Amino acid sequence: MNTHDNDMSRDEMAGHYVLGTLTEEEHREVSDRMREDEQLAEAVRYWQERLVGLCDVAEPVEVRESVWERISASIDELDSRPETAGDSPVSWMSSWWNNLVFWRGFSAAGFACALALAITLVAYQPASSKYMVVLATPEGHSPGWVVQASTSRKLTLKALGSFEIPEGKALEFWTKADDWDGPVSLGLVEPGQPIQISLDDLPPLEENQLFEITLENYGGSPIGRPTGPIQFIGRAVTSI
Amino acid sequence: MGSRDLTSPEVVAPDERGQSESGHSGTFDYDGCLRACVDGDKSALKALYVRESQQLLGVVSRIVRDRARAEDILHDAFVRIWQRASTFDASRGGGRGWVYTIARNLALDTIRSSGKQVSTEDRPEEVGDIDAAADPGNSQRWIEKVGSSHWGGNSERLQECLERLEPIPRACIFHAYVNGYSQSEIGDLIGAPVGTVKSWIKRSLVALRGCMG
Repeated sequence: MNTHDNDMSRDEMAGHYVLGTLTEEEHREVSDRMREDEQLAEAVRYWQERLVGLCDVAEPVEVRESVWERISASIDELDSRPETAGDSPVSWMSSWWNNLVFWRGFSAAGFACALALAITLVAYQPASSKYMVVLATPEGHSPGWVVQASTSRKLTLKALGSFEIPEGKALEFWTKADDWDGPVSLGLVEPGQPIQISLDDLPPLEENQLFEITLENYGGSPIGRPTGPIQFIGRAVTSI
Repeated sequence: MGSRDLTSPEVVAPDERGQSESGHSGTFDYDGCLRACVDGDKSALKALYVRESQQLLGVVSRIVRDRARAEDILHDAFVRIWQRASTFDASRGGGRGWVYTIARNLALDTIRSSGKQVSTEDRPEEVGDIDAAADPGNSQRWIEKVGSSHWGGNSERLQECLERLEPIPRACIFHAYVNGYSQSEIGDLIGAPVGTVKSWIKRSLVALRGCMG
């Protein structure tokens, strides 16, 4: 089933999306399309609203007290961040930091350390950086990689932590601008070493260009487009 | 518990379409609660948590099948609710449904990215019970619970419309939405080819759309 197939209507696609019966790839495709296709987004909202009564079927489960304590701590941590941001030595960084719309893209606990590291990395870069991308986990739990491009022809990818790649698997780096038909592979990546990538064969980098890292079988995707789950994802923002 | 009264019937948002009928959530002002979160009122989030965390954990646990992961998702869901409360738009649906959609999407993302799931043999007993309840020949046990609490919006006819489906397609919808099963897992469970499951689900969606309007 491909969500582009004519035999799958927008409404049916939205229904599957809400039921949870799309494959990872199809799900991702619908998520992407929803951003531009308001009718599809509306159809998804339709099904979300109509089917939510099925949640009554699940039996309630007792929640341990520690869960609220963790939520409370995470929220306090989030809410305390804007104040510390004023200390950032890089002015564009401060405004970006204080941009709640941007940060709402990320959520949840446990990324303060990684974030601080990202800020440090960014703050000590030469002022010529033109674009940057923070690649975060799809659920927005934590930033994992930073992409920087001082020109629109070359970029550097840096890991913000160490990641265990399962045996027989590889991380593959992809990019896609809004008007491209599909993502283009930028090669396999290894955590632990900055990677320089030349974009000579591609159109110049642009604002909002999508970058993602997927988990593929060893050797990378055999078909030239992502086949495995997204590990990290982000879009390019102009950094100066 | 909160600095504002979130349970007063008169503050039920107009977008609840004036339907504040009985049911455990009928008088809780979800929309107002989310607005209070936007204003930074943590007690509002706590009120929502006290109200919904057990049911949310029930929903999420059925999908991810792991207590610790389910609690992580519950945590992430409430952090996300806090962060994204400003994006909630009451004109596009009720606050309670919005909250459940966030939690359910996180659970579905988790099983998708982990390549999912335990085999049917490994499922905890209580899940087995409810699967038995979804037996096409005996759907009454679960179907009477559908829509038994107040969701607002347009979910009222769901139970009636599910009852109009044929038993096996209805069980497919149940296993997909409630258990988070893929179409091939549903096929394995009920002993049907995946193509047949796909066609049942497709027809069920069309029928539900026609029935619920």
